[in-house]
Amino acid sequence: MSTVPVSVEEARGLFAAELSESEAAASPRGGFLPADVAALKVRWLGKKQGVVTALLARLKEVPKEEKAAFGAGVNALKQEVEARLDALEAEAAARAASLAEAAKAVDVTLPPRVPPVGRLHPLTVVRRRIEASFRGLGYEVADGPEIETDWYNFESLNFPPDHPARDAVDTFFVEGRRDGARRASPPDAHVAGPDADDGEPQAPIRVLCPGRVYRKDDIDPRHSPVFHQMEGLVVDEGITFAHLRGTLAAFAKSFFGGRAEVRLAPTFFPFVEPGVDCAVSCTFCEKGCRICSFSGWIEIMGAGMVHPNVLANAGIDPERYTGFAFGMGIDRIAMLLHGIPDLRLLFENDVRFLDRTWS
Amino acid sequence: MKFRLEWLGQYLPGELPDLATLRRRLTDVGFIVEGTEGEGRDAVLDVELTANRPDGMNHRGLAREAACALGREFRDVPAPAPAEGPLEASSLATVTIEEPALCSRYSARIVEGVQVREASPAVQETAPAPSGMNPISSPVDATNHVLWDLGQPLHAFDLDTLAKGADGRPAIVVRRARAGETLVTLDGVERTLSPEHLVIADAEKPVALAGVMGGLHTAITPSTTRVLLESAHFSATAVRKTARLLGMHTDASHRFERGTDPATTVEGLNRVTALLVADCGGTVARGVIDVLAREIPSRVVKLRHARLVSFLGMDVPLGRCVQILSALAFGVTETAPGVLAVTVPTWRVDVEQECDLIEEVIRVVGYGALPEVLPPPFNPTWAEPILAREDRARDVLAAAGFVEACSYSFVSAEENAPFESAVSGSAPVIANALGEPFTTMRATPVIGLLRAARHNIRRGLSDLSLFEVGRSYALVEGHPVESRRAAVLLHGRRGTHWAAEALPADFYDGSGAVAALFAGFGAAAPGFRPVSVPFLASGRSAEIVAGGVVVGWVGVLAGPLAAAWDLDEAVVADVDLAAIPVPPPPSSVAMPSRFPGSDVDLTVTHPLSVGWETLDEAVRKGAPAELLRVDAKYLWRGAGVPEGFVKTTLRVAFGSPERSLGRDEINRWRDEAARRLLLVPGTAVDGIA
Repeated sequence: MSTVPVSVEEARGLFAAELSESEAAASPRGGFLPADVAALKVRWLGKKQGVVTALLARLKEVPKEEKAAFGAGVNALKQEVEARLDALEAEAAARAASLAEAAKAVDVTLPPRVPPVGRLHPLTVVRRRIEASFRGLGYEVADGPEIETDWYNFESLNFPPDHPARDAVDTFFVEGRRDGARRASPPDAHVAGPDADDGEPQAPIRVLCPGRVYRKDDIDPRHSPVFHQMEGLVVDEGITFAHLRGTLAAFAKSFFGGRAEVRLAPTFFPFVEPGVDCAVSCTFCEKGCRICSFSGWIEIMGAGMVHPNVLANAGIDPERYTGFAFGMGIDRIAMLLHGIPDLRLLFENDVRFLDRTWS
Repeated sequence: MKFRLEWLGQYLPGELPDLATLRRRLTDVGFIVEGTEGEGRDAVLDVELTANRPDGMNHRGLAREAACALGREFRDVPAPAPAEGPLEASSLATVTIEEPALCSRYSARIVEGVQVREASPAVQETAPAPSGMNPISSPVDATNHVLWDLGQPLHAFDLDTLAKGADGRPAIVVRRARAGETLVTLDGVERTLSPEHLVIADAEKPVALAGVMGGLHTAITPSTTRVLLESAHFSATAVRKTARLLGMHTDASHRFERGTDPATTVEGLNRVTALLVADCGGTVARGVIDVLAREIPSRVVKLRHARLVSFLGMDVPLGRCVQILSALAFGVTETAPGVLAVTVPTWRVDVEQECDLIEEVIRVVGYGALPEVLPPPFNPTWAEPILAREDRARDVLAAAGFVEACSYSFVSAEENAPFESAVSGSAPVIANALGEPFTTMRATPVIGLLRAARHNIRRGLSDLSLFEVGRSYALVEGHPVESRRAAVLLHGRRGTHWAAEALPADFYDGSGAVAALFAGFGAAAPGFRPVSVPFLASGRSAEIVAGGVVVGWVGVLAGPLAAAWDLDEAVVADVDLAAIPVPPPPSSVAMPSRFPGSDVDLTVTHPLSVGWETLDEAVRKGAPAELLRVDAKYLWRGAGVPEGFVKTTLRVAFGSPERSLGRDEINRWRDEAARRLLLVPGTAVDGIA
């Protein structure tokens, strides 16, 4: 190939021949790589020994009247060769890049490296959902102790000493104290009680008290000595029984969906009069399902109008103020919502149970 | 309690009510019918009775409610006095009430010449017992019958077993027991008594626990011929105290504890006497020995119609209120326009105040009639700060990859003991616990996490990252102290993936979780200070320090403790959430520097006894304001480093918000830091003599 073509036509033919020869050599590699094109550029366009340069050097040997045509021919050839090799160069660069990428390829179907995904407990998620419903109705969220005095646990809530109503809420007692572990409602009594700062009762009140409560129950799929309650209390002038019904209905719609209805039935709790059992129409079915025990209704909470003795015990004038209270089991509602078959799952902390999203 | 439809029907003239309708209406007015058995005359209703309605715990009482709920007539069945013989009952026995506060009335009849039968045909014929109640003997069946019919508990004594008083007559004395007295009750158990127990005594000794259970030696036997029948009204408190102190609960005590009708003693006595004589023959002595120690006046409660309307938020016409109350046997008089004076029936022990009467009206009208109205708008809401902090901790730890657990507050004494030093004060012990492992309130939620870890490991899941936000409990000088904690547990490998071998969780994963928690609150990074506590492995345990105060602990669980829990190495931490110094959110933010900083490395060989804190302090002390961070880049122990020494490479970052730093000044600061490190005894710094 060291021969220098004598005419432009010969050079053009030579270029085509060399190109196809090189292409044939490169084809096992998939085509030209940048080095192949670089070599061709040196051979054809190199400033010192390039074929085109050498061809141009023959200009002086060309007869005078042919010089112009020869020069124009060489220039045209140069542009053709440049264009062709530039195109090949770009192609080769892309090929090289894609080969480099291919070398880094992985099996994308292999298991991914998952950063640790934490989980919130279903009781946390359900509690927050209940809180959100009542926050929307203007409730504060309050706090209270779990180890509670007899006064707040019972007497202030209108459970007289030695009254059988205490049987229903069998309490744990801490040795050496009359206190029991908290059952439902004491935080309400705390909130309603005189303010530590000024001794004034704190009506009006609109408060929600989430918390852990205790009852002397053995552990089984439906019972636990430790469980979680959401209590609510509203005290103000002019609060009516109809307000209680309206509030429970609004909660039911917010929490269970717009077509949920509430059904209230009379019952007895010492701290309210009248007392209410509240059921919500089942929004999980049309004609009865496991969740509503095929009754169409799900019992979700107890409620009632705050007993005047309870208001008086908190230093609130029951003639001037009235109020209502309600309480629901967070555990129970979580079980209903998510079809959790056994209460113990909420306390065993089996990660196969916990490792999922509850909202 | 079970009720027979036919028996209820004795008080409802006309056809028996439809079972389904009765079931629905009774439930509507507060007597929840949990189920029914059978059909027609034989139908039985299973009714859940609330503690405030002892008057509904008998057929007559429930029939009265049914009549009102169904809008039907209620008709009482009279209990006439039985035919009597010539002998005066008062000549055959005496009754004395020494405790008028605890026993308002004691009524007794005496029947002579009875022949006790095995079962009571009279009872079986008139009204068989609800299912599940088998006939025992005629006197017992008769007393049970009256209990279920009228709610009056009764007792029958063998008159000839009662010791006689000074006047030669058998004596019945209602009194407190004397300390040390004993009584063998019908169940064959000998009971030792004290003045807190109310008893029925004869002239010498207790013969029954008042309102709870009779004595064995004065009970009716097949050979009994003379019977003294007791029908009394005991105070609810007295019976409850006696029964509870002795751990007893009987049909009689169940009713007395809730309150019986003081006006029914003679009626019940007459009814049982008639049944007894019909079955067993005999002659009824003349008259009732009826001692009324204390009159219990009828209550009169005022009901203002305007109050009822404003309390309910709906109108119930006055006439309807009067109709409902009258149907429930309340006496109603309108004393002023819209004001009723309502006389409460003697059996309605639950009705004391106006709100109780309002409930009577609305429960019969039906709660379904109430309109659904929201209270007027109220103030904007907020959450108690500590609750918001607990929830934020949950979010931070979940975001850091931990799974939230929820465990019992109770643990066993044995589980709690190793951790007791983690809190000040003593562990609250439950006086009436369910037994182990529920006797003690936990010193740290870590115990619950250990239980959770064991549960999972036993099921083959050993790579665990758990947290719980909950309370720890202690008694300090007798007062309960509840502390809000965030606890974490790590066990097994961290971040398993096929591309690299997973490392087991170690101390730094624990301290890292704590640091992440602080970072999540925007709090300054906590310090970790070596500590020696019995529940953590020595040398791999620290107390967490924030703002100069110890706010928790972190470390590898002590080996023996881990073994006791069936765990491999577990890393645990417990932080006092209330003690995390949470700053307010930023109120102004500086622009990040436009000038890139520079990092330089310093490699120090130092004794193991020189901790990171010392190195960190040496670099920072006297450093220019341009020093931004000091990190540990690499640690090496082994070849090239003497025994007892470690080679630590520190990475020191410099930067300025105002300018690019020159290589010369950075090198100068680096060398100054190196010279300060050299001042720490035993250290050498690479490249510095």
